[in-house]
Parts: sequence; C-alpha cells; structure tokens
Amino acid sequence: MQENTMEKPTFTFQPTPEDISTQTGAVMVELVKVTKIYPPDVVALRNVSFTARRGEIIFLTGASGAGKSTLLKLLCRQERPTKGLIEINGTDINKLKSAATQRLRQNIGVAYQDFRLLPRQSVYQNIAMAMEVQFKSVKEIRQRVTELLDKLSLIEKRNKPAGKLSRGEQQRVVIARAVANAPPLLLADEPTGNLDSNTTLLVMGLFHELNESGSAIIIATHDKSIYEGSNHRQFELHQGEITQIT
Amino acid sequence: MLQSWGVQLMTMLTVTLSVLIFSFFFLIYTNMIHVGDKIGGELRLIVYLESELGPQQQDDLKKKITSFRKVERIVFISPEEAFAQLGKQLGTDRDVLEDLDASFLPYSVEIYPHKNLKDLTHIKEFSDYLENLPDTIKVQYGHGWVERFGYFTKLLRFVVIISGFLLILTTMFMVSSTLRLTLYARQKELKVLRYLGATNGYIEGPVLLEGFTLGVLGATSGLFALFFLFQWIKSHFSGPGLMNLFEINFLPWPYCAIILFCSVLFCTFGSLLSIRKFLKI
Ligand SMILES: Nc1ncnc2c1ncn2[C@@H]1O[C@H](COP(=O)(O)OP(=O)(O)OP(=O)(O)O)[C@@H](O)[C@H]1O
Ligand SMILES: [Mg+2]
Repeated sequence: MQENTMEKPTFTFQPTPEDISTQTGAVMVELVKVTKIYPPDVVALRNVSFTARRGEIIFLTGASGAGKSTLLKLLCRQERPTKGLIEINGTDINKLKSAATQRLRQNIGVAYQDFRLLPRQSVYQNIAMAMEVQFKSVKEIRQRVTELLDKLSLIEKRNKPAGKLSRGEQQRVVIARAVANAPPLLLADEPTGNLDSNTTLLVMGLFHELNESGSAIIIATHDKSIYEGSNHRQFELHQGEITQIT
Repeated sequence: MLQSWGVQLMTMLTVTLSVLIFSFFFLIYTNMIHVGDKIGGELRLIVYLESELGPQQQDDLKKKITSFRKVERIVFISPEEAFAQLGKQLGTDRDVLEDLDASFLPYSVEIYPHKNLKDLTHIKEFSDYLENLPDTIKVQYGHGWVERFGYFTKLLRFVVIISGFLLILTTMFMVSSTLRLTLYARQKELKVLRYLGATNGYIEGPVLLEGFTLGVLGATSGLFALFFLFQWIKSHFSGPGLMNLFEINFLPWPYCAIILFCSVLFCTFGSLLSIRKFLKI
C-alpha cells in the first residue's frame, strides 16, 4: 500500500516552531469573514468563516454559481480576498511574497474544475510535471506516476496527449496530478463531475487513502453519491454565504 | 519547442555574425597598433640648422621644442656624425663619399616623438612649428603617410567601439526577443507550472541555460569564423610586397577569452531580460 511508503504530508512552506500541521486535529485552514467581490460588483463570497483541520475531509456543496470554486481559488492564492483573513498552517497567505506563494502552492494539490492540463503533453508528462517542479528524482516520479495511472486505470493512456482524452479521462489525470505529491491539503473542485459510478469509487478510494495518511481534503461537489451518508462535515454555500449542514 | 529551432538558429547566427564583425575590426586594430609601434620606433623628425649651436643655444632650442610638445629624446648631430651615419647607410657603396668631406652636411637635430596615436596624428603641426624656429633651415620627417596611418588607426578604433556596441545590443536584443517569443508560445504551460508551485528558479533555469548556450555556441563559432578568415587572408596576401611589412597576428587568446566571456554574459543577461515579465504570479 502506498501510504506506508509515503512520508507524512507536512507543510513545508513556512515551518513553525512546532509544526502544527503534523498534529491530527490541528487547524490547517482558517477563513475569517472572507468576502470576495469580482470587479465590478459580483459578490462571490460574503463574510465566509470556516475552519478545516488536519486529516479532515470536507464537502462543499451549493448551487452553480454559489461560490465554491471561488473559495477554493482563494485557498491556493489564485484569487485574493476582497476582505477578511485567510490563514493556512497559521500563516496569513495574503502576506506571502512570490517565493513563499510558490512554496504554498507546492503544498496544496488542486484538481481544477477546468482541468488546466497541457493538451499536447502526454498524460504521463502532465502528472509528472507536478513532481518535477519540486525537483523530485526521476525514479521517484516514475514510480509514483505509474502507481497513480494504475490506480485510476489510465495506464494504457499514459503516452497519449492529454487533449485527446475523453472528459472523464482528463478529469482523472487532473486528480492524479493533484495528489501526485501527497500534499497535506488537497482541493478538489467537482472531481467526479464527468465520471461514472465505478470510476467515482476509484477516485474516492484514492482520496480516502490520502486522507488516512494525514492530508486534509476539501471537495466541492454536486454529486450527492459521494457525500450522502458519509460522516464528514458538509458545508453549503448559498449565494456566497456559508452554512454548516453536518 | 521544435518549431522554434529555426528561430534559435537564426539568433545564434546573429550572435556569430556580430562577434565576427567586432573581432574582425578588433583584429585589424590590434595589428595596426603593432605596426604603429614599429613605425613609431623608426620615426624621427630631422631639423637642419643654419649653423652650429653652442651648449647654451642647444639648451634653449631643447626648451623651445619641449615647450611645444614633450618628446622621447632629442639628439644633436654634428656634420661628422651625420657623415659617418651616411657612410653606414650606404654600406658597400660608401666609396662615393671618398672625395667628400663632412663639411657639406649641415648641423642637425634628431627628434624622436612619443609613439602614441595622438602624437602620430599631429606630427604635421609639430613639424610646422619646428620649421618656424629661427635656427631652422628645413624639417624632414620620415614617411608622410605616418600621419595618415595615425588617422586611420584612430578611425579604426572608433569602428571597433561602434561594432562593440552593436555586438552588445544585437546579442542582448536578439537573445531576449527570441526567448520572449518561445516564452509566449509556452505562456499557457508557464501559467500551469506556476499553479503547480514552480519557483522562479525552476522557470528561469532552462531559459538562462538557453541564453548561455546561444552565447557559447554563437561566440565560439564567430571566433572560429574569424580564425578561418584570418588564415585565408594570410595565405592570399602574404608573400613579397606591402603585406610583409604588416606581419599580421591572430588575436591573442586572452582577448578571445574576453570576447567569448562577454558575449556569453550579454546573452545570458538578455535571456534574463526576456523572462522577467513572465515571472509575475
Ligand atoms: N473571474 C471572475 N470574474 C467575475 N466573476 C466571476 C469570476 N469567477 C466567478 N465569478 C462569479 O462568481 C460567482 C461564483 O462563481 P464560482 O465559480 O465560485 O461558482 P461555483 O459555485 O464554483 O459554481 P459551479 O458549481 O458552476 O462551478 C458566479 O456568479 C460567477 O459568475
Ligand atoms: Mg465551480
């Protein structure tokens, strides 16, 4: 099993004296009254406060346009909040300089709703890229990517250009890229939107495996099948406002 | 990346060409300086005097000369010394002097100017000044073309400087704009890399390496081209004739090393310029 050989995922972007992210249950993500307004006047998030702890799985639900993607984009500093505080691992990410931002991003795996794959690069290369930017060894990259391709039943597609894949296949490539480095925080935006129920199970299996090794996972989804009946916390966004369901 | 190979090659050739142009002029220039040293060494102005000068008058004349221009040395020549010199110059033909005695030769002064470009190019003025001194009958100085040679060398120095500037501009500009083109083509990829947390170093590294490689390849082939051109010129223009006077030499290797180093530096710097705007997050 993978998690036995994997190191415990830990934030490395700003080591604190006692690295809180290694303690199960420690606060990993904290949003305090966060508002995001897209210019000129689209209020995507309104006074959102929310906490995610280490080793937790959280489901974000809500109608289309409710602000789920926006919330995830704020966490990986792809968008900046208009108001409010966002702390990750105890650090205000708004104050991060360029180099620290890149280190933060290396610690967060993101499966984008719009994929952001490089269509002309092979499936293998698209996944490997996430590890290459962290200067992982060629051997380690090959092992990990092959393992992920296997787990997501993409192994025959490994040399195909990502642009030539079906939506569902592309979705799995994005997920593989996001989990490749076993990040301490994983953000998955609509990860099962294009998948059949069997493949959904594969992906959720991968997420649970990562979670058991200590990663926190935030999943934005419409897919009832993955959150109904689970004992994980669920938040609903409604026109930019957040409410905890369970 | 493959489609940009043509562009890369063009850039490298531009670097090659600018290095070739610059080092070609520089080669000529260093050789001219070399020849200039040789000519300057033999160069002297001879001032023929009305009559013999006593020690006091000699000193006065020296002062007058040096007040106009500092020179390397001044030698007073008596007719006897001039006669002996003439005999030496004639060698085996010296018997033509047999019936003559030294007194038909005038007293003279030999003035050796400093061998620098400025004094070489202004030798005419100096000669005019000497001509107007009260004791002078006539002034002679070696070769009339010394002056023109001086001017030519000066012009060449100007050309060297200009082509040096062109070298800097073209290498930096070409390299940075070529790399900017390839970076534009990769813009989407760069964006994805940034989202994956690629550091500046990760993105800069290959681009710097590319600039560096372009510099090394371009400058090396430029210097090689110069070397072959040099060989060709040497084999076609040497032999008996004027060219023998100028024994041309290739650039000494420290100069080649400096040219190579600077070109690589400018290319690398050019690549750094190209990437700056792509590093914004
Ligand atoms: N870049 C942007 N510029 C302007 N408005 C935006 C931008 N991105 C999102 N919005 C708006 O912000 C609101 C929230 O968008 P967001 O993408 O967060 O919704 P979502 O919950 O992810 O929806 P979906 O389930 O369809 O993905 C929407 O009204 C959207 O139109
Ligand atoms: Mg969305």
